Amino acid sequence: MIRKDQFQSSSKENVWLWLTKIITGLSIVIFLAIHFIVNHLIAPEGLLSYADILAYYSYPIVPVMEAGFLVLVVSHSFLGIRSIILDLNPAAKVMRVINGLLIALGSAAILYGLWLLIVLVGRSTNL
Amino acid sequence: MNNNDPSSHHFLRWFDPRHKSIGTIAFIINRFSALGLTVYLILHLVVLSKLASGGQAYDEFLILAKSPVIKIGEMFVIAGGIIHGANGVRIALNSFGFLVKIQKELFIGLMILSLAIIFYFGVHMFSGAQN
Repeated sequence: MIRKDQFQSSSKENVWLWLTKIITGLSIVIFLAIHFIVNHLIAPEGLLSYADILAYYSYPIVPVMEAGFLVLVVSHSFLGIRSIILDLNPAAKVMRVINGLLIALGSAAILYGLWLLIVLVGRSTNL
Repeated sequence: MNNNDPSSHHFLRWFDPRHKSIGTIAFIINRFSALGLTVYLILHLVVLSKLASGGQAYDEFLILAKSPVIKIGEMFVIAGGIIHGANGVRIALNSFGFLVKIQKELFIGLMILSLAIIFYFGVHMFSGAQN
């Protein structure tokens, strides 16, 4: 069982949000390692053209992995921005507005990325 | 207010490297690399809209992406990602109580390792191995 007092988070940051930031961060490091192995060792030339990318997305695991990566990166990034803003000690009212903005922008970025993935998968199946 | 309490008035101190402990320098590096990578994430998502525009638009963008200016920008992103990732692993380890006593040495070691990896990527990118 996880106890809140086991961890050291920034003074004003909710401990569960802080823990989410740490877990998403470590997951991104693992995802990036896989990305570099795939793109630089297995496919040393990388994904060079639009046709290469569509062919890459025709493997079912790829869009699932990319969707997961998108959610992890956006979540980690926006939680990190929130931590930096908290360092500037804003008023509670201002922070509520910032929280709303970050949730809206983060959700929009994830939805946009998922839409793009669906478009690419649709085109790759028509190859 | 204590001198070290968080405040927007202390923001400019991030840009002053004097009289800083190694822990504070690690903290500042982590924050700056995070801001840089977030800007890149937004730019990356915007640029990927070219994929939705079709093959011609994306392939035209790829020609632009091979210019030296974009490559130098990519190098900054790679450097920022490696440094932020390595520093983040240290923060995670220390936060869960691992290697706390050697956190300064761990930071220095990880930064040396990061520089070596960045150097490898730099040579790989600019030697023409990845055109």
